[in-house]
Amino acid sequence: MFGWLQQIGHRVLSIVAGLGRSAQLLLAALMGLGYVLKNFRLLIKQVYVTGVLSIAIIGVSGLFIGMVLGLQGYSILVDFGAEDALGQMVALTLLRELSPVVAALLFAGRAGSALTAEIGLMKATEQLASMEMIGVDPVKRVIAPRLYAGIIALPLLCILFSIIGVWGGMLVGVEWLGVFDGSYWGNMQASVSFTHDVMNGVIKSIVFAFVVTWIAVFQGYDLEPTSEGISRATTKTVVHGSLAVLGLDFVLTALMFGDF
Amino acid sequence: MTFLREKRAIFSDLSLRIPKGKITAIMGPSGTGKTTLLRLIGGQLKPDQGDVVVDGHSVPSLSRKQLFELRQRMGMLFQSGALFSELTVFENVAFPLRVHTKLPEDMIRDLVLIKLESVGLRGARDLMPSELSGGMSRRVALARAIALDPELMMYDEPFVGQDPITLGVLVKLIRQLNDALNMTTVLVSHDIDECLSIADHVCVLSGGKVLVQGSPEEILQSDLSEVKQFIQGLPDGPVPFRYPANDFAEDILFAGKDGVAG
Amino acid sequence: MTTRWIEISVGGFVIAGALALLLLAFKVSGLDINGDDEDTYVVYAHFNNIGGLKPRAKVTMAGVTIGRVAAVEIDPQWYDAKVTLRIDNSMKDKLSTDTTAMILTSGLLGENYIGLVVGAEEDMLADGGEIRDTQPALVLEDLIGKFLSSMGKE
Repeated sequence: MFGWLQQIGHRVLSIVAGLGRSAQLLLAALMGLGYVLKNFRLLIKQVYVTGVLSIAIIGVSGLFIGMVLGLQGYSILVDFGAEDALGQMVALTLLRELSPVVAALLFAGRAGSALTAEIGLMKATEQLASMEMIGVDPVKRVIAPRLYAGIIALPLLCILFSIIGVWGGMLVGVEWLGVFDGSYWGNMQASVSFTHDVMNGVIKSIVFAFVVTWIAVFQGYDLEPTSEGISRATTKTVVHGSLAVLGLDFVLTALMFGDF
Repeated sequence: MTFLREKRAIFSDLSLRIPKGKITAIMGPSGTGKTTLLRLIGGQLKPDQGDVVVDGHSVPSLSRKQLFELRQRMGMLFQSGALFSELTVFENVAFPLRVHTKLPEDMIRDLVLIKLESVGLRGARDLMPSELSGGMSRRVALARAIALDPELMMYDEPFVGQDPITLGVLVKLIRQLNDALNMTTVLVSHDIDECLSIADHVCVLSGGKVLVQGSPEEILQSDLSEVKQFIQGLPDGPVPFRYPANDFAEDILFAGKDGVAG
Repeated sequence: MTTRWIEISVGGFVIAGALALLLLAFKVSGLDINGDDEDTYVVYAHFNNIGGLKPRAKVTMAGVTIGRVAAVEIDPQWYDAKVTLRIDNSMKDKLSTDTTAMILTSGLLGENYIGLVVGAEEDMLADGGEIRDTQPALVLEDLIGKFLSSMGKE
């Protein structure tokens, strides 16, 4: 009779325990900063894996999203004779929302799932255990560089996404649909503020990078070392990471832009 | 070296000693927690009760830093080899040296080549772990485990899935390493012949308890029925081979009805 | 995939990111680091109503941008809006003292901006000079009100 109640209790307790373990891992990994700086190559390798290898997908998506914004924005604005405001619309949409969010979602799918699978496989093949037996802390050696690399890589990817998107919007709006390029850039420059729009977008993407990478390394480190466990953990990384990004985006937007 | 421990569930009130400088084989049927035992010695797991003492240090009560220092004096060969998949064979063996010593590069190179030569894989130094066969990667892992010349060497099922040639080489290697470097060796396995041929001291576990321990001869002459069954490899005996189930004939005859009803 | 290539590409990645941020700063947000004090001078314009005029809006003459709105504040003496204009130095001593300023709208829904029209006086506006002859922003409610009252008279 109290079976369902017990089940709820069990679920809640296991969630709380998971949160506790992930916080412990995060703390230990953050403390590994000294080790990461001493072994700078590990960090560079991970920035390569998470960042450089994601440039292609980020660039292509940025281009297409910018082009779609140009097309849609033009068809809406032209009804009001306000197609001159296209640059402003494309830039603000990208900088404030789309680049940080879409880049983070793609990052969770591309780099986050790869991180989880890689760490999970290292755990399943006892690489983490043997590292521990050799006397090296795998949290410092394996987790910390990946965490810091993610925090470095995603904001850079987000900035690239914005630039490519703005250029894609210009490609459609100015080159194909004939918006005057002076007003495309001029309106954009008049309405985009560096601190308010550009920097807030970058701050958003730093927060997303932190959360997504944290989820990814935790899922990898905490998974059950079987093939099923690895596939479940990679799915969790993408699902939890994406939900966290979207939820946090609302909170951050309310904090940053909510006052008007 | 003293080693005492008690743990519920997998082990209950288990207590055993591993003599220094000798090869101790820990044998027992699958699922008796042999690997768990090695993890307890290495400090990766903590006993719920009791103590694990290695060379006078109580492993569970060491601080993290002390534990990592103690582990530098231990080597462990994992069941799967557990080579770092992103490093070459050479870098895998060099890994403990680079981490724990500040030796110049050419000295590390010499040491790594010596260790690789001792397992017969000096020529494979530039391969990646994914290019190695199972037996080769275990030998590389052995070279890595002995890179720092440990005082205590632990082998987790080293003989599983090896062809007869590799098996013979491995048995010899373990013996040689133990004698040449004056190591203490703990070997976990259920391969009776190999274990009995190289071990100085044998300890048979079952049901979380030490059934019998002593020299290989003593084990062979043991009167305990569990030990006899294990050594002769018989399915019927005090150690159940089958997972607990209801009567076989009943299960087959009434399978249809039971299945539908269940 | 040698270590060298990894390091080079990571270096390129970081530099590309930094360049992209610079592009965002200057090309997209129009951040102007030397613009404010070096090459401009200040003129104040007083308006009855500025409508939706915001700081950073452009200041034009004959449709050409010659400066920006630096600040908008209330003048407690006159109870009108005091708008600080930063005009490019190339227009220094070329705006007469009877220059008129009006608040214009780009397109139907666009931003408000300021248009200047030069008068006939010989004297020129100095740094910190004031423009009193201004035309306020068109406020839709006022327009409708005027329209309705003129309809009522007929």
